[in-house]
Amino acid sequence: MAERIKDAEDRKLEEMFRSQPIADDGFTVRVVSRVRRQIWVRRLSLPVAIAAGALVGLKPLLQVAGAVPQLIGLIPVDMLKLDALPVGGLPQASTLLIGASIVMAIMMAGRLLEE
Amino acid sequence: MGAPGVGDNELVAQVVAQQDPKAFGELVRRHQSQVRGFLRKLTRDIALADDLAQDAFLHAWDKLHTFSGQGTFIGWLLKVAYTTFLQSKRKSNRYNEILSEINHGGDGHAVHDVHEVSDLDRLLSVLTDEERAIMILSYACGLSHREIGDAANLPVGTVKSIIFRGKEKIRDNFDIEDHQYG
Repeated sequence: MAERIKDAEDRKLEEMFRSQPIADDGFTVRVVSRVRRQIWVRRLSLPVAIAAGALVGLKPLLQVAGAVPQLIGLIPVDMLKLDALPVGGLPQASTLLIGASIVMAIMMAGRLLEE
Repeated sequence: MGAPGVGDNELVAQVVAQQDPKAFGELVRRHQSQVRGFLRKLTRDIALADDLAQDAFLHAWDKLHTFSGQGTFIGWLLKVAYTTFLQSKRKSNRYNEILSEINHGGDGHAVHDVHEVSDLDRLLSVLTDEERAIMILSYACGLSHREIGDAANLPVGTVKSIIFRGKEKIRDNFDIEDHQYG
């Protein structure tokens, strides 16, 4: 309140509003332990979510990836101009999986570095 | 680490750069009394105020990078505490509304801790929530009008008129001169 001139009433009000300092009584420890818990939860949440997602999604993903060459075989030949479409150049299932794994690994590494 | 001789701004920089909970702990240790005192006067409920103070410090941890270092750290911290109080009040108002609807027109007010009503409680009870917050920030926490304006998102002129109005209400209801409150 340095910017204003205090009158007697202001001083009286300050006196009325004044209170004893509050003892810490473990308050700081409780706050810091909640902060530490929050740090760990955030640090673990992404890897755990990725691991859980991988566990749930890996089997169907492999099945889909395995079926892709068969599905490509079902496309009527006359719909494809074989001389124009480089069918041989389509990515293999294993290539797709490796690519996805690399992207996930980069995302995880980025997140961990950010932490 | 958060050495007691280090200034608040250096500690804040350390926390932001290294995510150092120990340095943050030093900031909490330094300012817990003022933040808890502010919230205790505002809520008039010790347990609720201490819960809100913990939440406020956690919000401060999350938002510490937004502290520009322009004003005082305690001013910024009290702004976070006031925002936490307002958010909690909004939630509790909604909770009371729902409770009231369920109870078919019951009063729906949460039961507060029954504690001895002090002179300051009686004095604060004549003020609105906003007036109470501004008066506490001014007379109990010692913030300048500009700092109060920052904390409450109000122009300085509005802060001054709220203080004027608050003083008038107190004057109308209490004899400040005869008051023996220490």
